[in-house]
Amino acid sequence: MFGFFNQKKSASVAKDRLTIAIMSDRDRTNGYPFMDEMKAEIMEVVQKYIGVKGVEIRKEVDGDMEALAIDVELDKNA
Amino acid sequence: MGIVIAVISGKGGVGKTTATANLGLGIAMNNKKCVVVDFDIGQRNLDMILGLENRVVYDMVQVMDGEANLKQALIKSKANENLHFLAASQTKDKSVLESQKVEKLVAELKENFDFVILDAPAGIESGYEHTIEFADAAIVIVNPEVSSIRDADRAIGILDSKSAKVKAGDDVAKYLIINRIVADMVESGEMLKSDDILEILNIKLLGKVPEDKGVIDASNQGKPVVLDKKSIAGQAYSRISDRLCGQKVDMKDIEVSDSGLFKRITGIFK
Repeated sequence: MFGFFNQKKSASVAKDRLTIAIMSDRDRTNGYPFMDEMKAEIMEVVQKYIGVKGVEIRKEVDGDMEALAIDVELDKNA
Repeated sequence: MGIVIAVISGKGGVGKTTATANLGLGIAMNNKKCVVVDFDIGQRNLDMILGLENRVVYDMVQVMDGEANLKQALIKSKANENLHFLAASQTKDKSVLESQKVEKLVAELKENFDFVILDAPAGIESGYEHTIEFADAAIVIVNPEVSSIRDADRAIGILDSKSAKVKAGDDVAKYLIINRIVADMVESGEMLKSDDILEILNIKLLGKVPEDKGVIDASNQGKPVVLDKKSIAGQAYSRISDRLCGQKVDMKDIEVSDSGLFKRITGIFK
């Protein structure tokens, strides 16, 4: 129990934590083999127009829908 | 031709060997010829749970290596003549398992038994891959607890990538047993509900087994708890075994404690 104004029950905390942990575990094991190559190419393209520090690609699964989330971090000094 | 079922888990200590012993005996009690094989080489334990540790002469590694034949190595259970047991090697380690040898052993067992149950090493250990490779189906054992569930997901992932059936474009059937459920804790929201676990792992439920002190008492004596008609875990294993033998047995709601049930019933009259 966590204090008087008992917030979330621990089982639902467990469910939330597990859902996220397992999703990222699956991503790591089911990641695409071409991910690094793709990152480099995206970086190259964006680099033509604006300075880039790094590219992060994640596979996101929501029910039956799968998506690639691509984050491009810009280089402020460039 | 029998069916080959691997009993698997992510981490150790969730009750995999206990489940193997009880399902094997429960199936045998359904008048099916069943063999349980301990694949946990170097950590032999199934013999103790079955009360057969003094009868082991030859182990499965010796059978695979041709040092003994299957007949010599099979041990008949004292509890039920339909149940046979093949011991793990205690002296070797899991690296002795080779695909071809495992395939041959499993094929020979399949010819002679209706059910071939393989007690796998934990999913994170070596030897696990070889145990699941030639299985027609897998039973995943978890506890309602985060580390067990997370590791089970990894074990299922390996199953899906290494199974010979999957490689041949087929499906390997997967079912879940949730072991050591404490009804009071589920009710008070301190333990994960089985529905949540099924949703997280995306797998079909085979059965739920409640926490029961009788399980340790049974393993002390080498008499699997399924023999104890009064034990709630024994009853659960009996229901699961009946299901595996094709009987239609309703899922019992063991996530409601007696007091919770009482509240529910009295609630009707309010």
